[in-house]
Amino acid sequence: MVYKTKKKTLSFQDTIFNLQKYWSKKGCVILQPYDLEVGAGTFHPATTLRSLGPKPWKTAYVQPSRRPTDGRYGDNPNRLQHYYQFQVLIKPSPKEIKKMYLNSLSSIGINYEEHDIRFVEDDWESPTLGAAGLGWEVWCDGMEVTQFTYFQQMAGVECKPVSVEITYGLERLCMFIQNKKSVFDLIWNDEGITYKDVFHKSEKEFSAYNFEYANTDNLFKIFEMHEEETKLLVEKKISLPAYDQCLKCSHVFNILDARGVISVAQRAEYIARIRELTKSIGKVWIESQS
Amino acid sequence: MSELFVELFSEEIPANLQINARNELKKNIKNFFIDNQIKFNENFNVYSTPNRLVLYIDKIPSEIKLNPEEIRGPNVNAPEKALKGFIRSNNTTLEKIFKKTTEKGEFYFFKKESRKIKVSDLLEKNLSEILTKITWNKSMKWANYDLYWGRPLKSILAIFNKKPLNFVFNHINSSNKTFTDKSLEEDLKIFNDFNSYIKFFKQKGILIDQDLRKKIIQNKINEIINKKNLKIEQNERLIDEIVNIVEKPAVIICDFDKKFLNVPSEILITTMQSHQKYLPTFDKKNNLTNNFFVVSDIKDTKGFVKLGNERVIEARLSDAEFFWEKNKTQNLVKQVDKLKNINYFKGLGSYFDKIQRMRKLSSVISDDFLISKDKIEIASSICKVDLMSDLVGEFPELQGIVGGHFAKFQGFDKEVCLAISEQYLPNGMESKLPKKMYSVALSLSDKLDSLVGFFGINLKPTSSKDPYAIRRMAISLVRLIVENETKIKLKDLIVYTCSAYRDQGYDFDTKKIQNELSDFIIERLKNYLKEKKIRQDIIESSTFLLGLDDLLKAYKKSLCLNKNIKKEIGFETIAVYKRSSNILNTEEKISIETLGFADPGLFKNDYEKKLYKKINDIRKYFLSIGKDENYEESLKILSSIKNEVNDFFDNVIVNDEDIIIKKNRLELLNMLCKTFDNYFNFSKIEA
Repeated sequence: MVYKTKKKTLSFQDTIFNLQKYWSKKGCVILQPYDLEVGAGTFHPATTLRSLGPKPWKTAYVQPSRRPTDGRYGDNPNRLQHYYQFQVLIKPSPKEIKKMYLNSLSSIGINYEEHDIRFVEDDWESPTLGAAGLGWEVWCDGMEVTQFTYFQQMAGVECKPVSVEITYGLERLCMFIQNKKSVFDLIWNDEGITYKDVFHKSEKEFSAYNFEYANTDNLFKIFEMHEEETKLLVEKKISLPAYDQCLKCSHVFNILDARGVISVAQRAEYIARIRELTKSIGKVWIESQS
Repeated sequence: MSELFVELFSEEIPANLQINARNELKKNIKNFFIDNQIKFNENFNVYSTPNRLVLYIDKIPSEIKLNPEEIRGPNVNAPEKALKGFIRSNNTTLEKIFKKTTEKGEFYFFKKESRKIKVSDLLEKNLSEILTKITWNKSMKWANYDLYWGRPLKSILAIFNKKPLNFVFNHINSSNKTFTDKSLEEDLKIFNDFNSYIKFFKQKGILIDQDLRKKIIQNKINEIINKKNLKIEQNERLIDEIVNIVEKPAVIICDFDKKFLNVPSEILITTMQSHQKYLPTFDKKNNLTNNFFVVSDIKDTKGFVKLGNERVIEARLSDAEFFWEKNKTQNLVKQVDKLKNINYFKGLGSYFDKIQRMRKLSSVISDDFLISKDKIEIASSICKVDLMSDLVGEFPELQGIVGGHFAKFQGFDKEVCLAISEQYLPNGMESKLPKKMYSVALSLSDKLDSLVGFFGINLKPTSSKDPYAIRRMAISLVRLIVENETKIKLKDLIVYTCSAYRDQGYDFDTKKIQNELSDFIIERLKNYLKEKKIRQDIIESSTFLLGLDDLLKAYKKSLCLNKNIKKEIGFETIAVYKRSSNILNTEEKISIETLGFADPGLFKNDYEKKLYKKINDIRKYFLSIGKDENYEESLKILSSIKNEVNDFFDNVIVNDEDIIIKKNRLELLNMLCKTFDNYFNFSKIEA
């Protein structure tokens, strides 16, 4: 498949459009972002839950991802507490997935024959999701632009068939395409709007919230409430609403972590609690799939 | 003669798995040829690129002859069904079956005639199993398949004697084709032999042979550094990794902004090496430069690769610089209190608790080392503060080192800074060893505190599991003591560490910890000596009934003996000892009790007297202070008795008719052995 790459630099939003179009043509269901705070595209139920069970599934979507501890008040050119991932999940993993991926780079103006594209070992594990996979981070001239993972386990369950997950870090990728040193200088659209115009204020304010103002007493309580709710919903065997509640736990935990009020020992304990929730939800989901 | 050529094509297999797979495949195929008594070129090699695992063996016969053999069937008294089964399974007839009596009774036999087998048939039958036997440290499944492999396996090419071998490995059928492009997997090509395969890829710039890739990378790097007057650090591990993540290596020299050289070099080096697999360069004075090497997997015709990598390092170093600038001014002393929030280990308190114990311990050690108590207490107090810094968050492998830089920046004493920076050293057998007393003291107290703690909460390593790397900790402790010739009372220090825990409310069983830890550490000393290639019998002798405070003595003695045992002085000394002890041992069996001293009044001749005098001279020598620690000298002294001993044995009959005389002579020999034993337990040495 040959993509015409226009002379002008691809904007942030065009990059998204092209990836959506590309994966749409590959038969993926193009979804919109999940409407809850999550740490990565993997947490979208279209990936976590759909990767479990025997039914084939192909999807692609943008997912705003929140990592409270990575906030830098908008001062650091490479770090954000809120950023975008473009996520592709295909089950079972197709034979020609590497070719599909490399062609997707062409669709956003990266000619893989002119760059040093490298598949560098990077095995992935998510303790909160009870998930693990083997794969690579993909380097383009030394810059990590994509995570490429074959799921082996999700929610504590062995994946059969195995899904492949491709996660593009959109900001990084665009910094590469647009040749920018700071994420805030990225061109968002053809009208000259920049990433800074859109997100700088938000980075600043959310960093303050995450690191300084988040009411930790309340958050601890909120965590307990969502945890309780998850357990109740698991008992009722409705996995999707249960998973929503679990995602909320996960995000609250992330803020508490950023606020520095969770000790190392406590940290392990909280992660284990969330993992238990995910596992119980995974079980209910699988039962509904066969 | 024929050739076997196999290529396994897959998605990119990580370097360490590749190396392991090469070794495994080599071992398995070798065993196959040996087990089947097929001749082959034993100097064969297994090659790999990230996508291709390639086996090539030549000088294989195309047929092998199997000698006739008699195959035993069922007992003659067994039911007829058994005989029929035997006939069927050997594909023969009743006429060819005969009876024969063996030790176990009378059996049916079948004589298999000598026959020829095609090696290609054998290979087709066995290759799948040979591949199955490859064990991966980490493996995965993909799609709907059940096969576990390092990364998805796509195709198998197998050729014997220029013809394809046909076999099935899980869901994959072997063929004579492979993909010539690793990326798109579109172009299939037929290969009938290894040479045309290698040649074809060489034309595309792809080198299948990892050793060749390594040579080319190293040559290119050397060419550039010679021109630019630079050096690189010999880092085999990194080079081997790089060699195995490219198939057509292109060496590119890049640079970064010199302003980053103000950041401590360890941080820059770690960023380049472990995060980006770059090779940093140094000038002739060993200072880091702003030039570094990238080994690309593509020729950088348009300069994109160089540009891209320089941008990446710029971003990474900016990050590091940002953290360095932020962290270096954060007052170490003021942060100590915050260590209360950081758990050291479940059941062993926080890092704050740990440094309190370390402070006490290092202060006691400082008395032995004759170093400043104040300084070592300061070092102990602030040594763990860097764990809370962003830099250690980013570069966990730089813990300690980063702390040392903070301390230096904040004006702490030079020795204190070095001690903080070296507190985790040595880390096992190979790692660098601190030499300065402050560093040794801090590292010792860190390791002792950990060892006592883990034994206290009963997390001792088992024979198969050591998740907290406690063995390595103890080996490091042993190295600190013996290689630095450190004179400390380890036994007392363990007791003292226990009491430091007890002061914080931990209820440890001191006696138990002391015993267990003592055995454990001595066991590590033995391993350590073994690694140093000391003979096993010398290790056993030098550690026999060893006290914890004598690790250094045992180390020096075994080193000395190991060095001399094959020399004249060594085997002569042992011969003297053995000659005496052998007589004693036989006599002991007929139960003559020796008391440990001979009576000079009972001596009958000069030989006895001379020997007696010599023994006493030697004893006097060993009694004088410090003499017993010069092991070379002591060995010389011991060996000097050989004339007296030989004269004695040549002229005196121990087994005298007079039992009293006999006993006295045995006493004399016993004195001799006891004297030798003071120095070394020779009885366990194999002559």
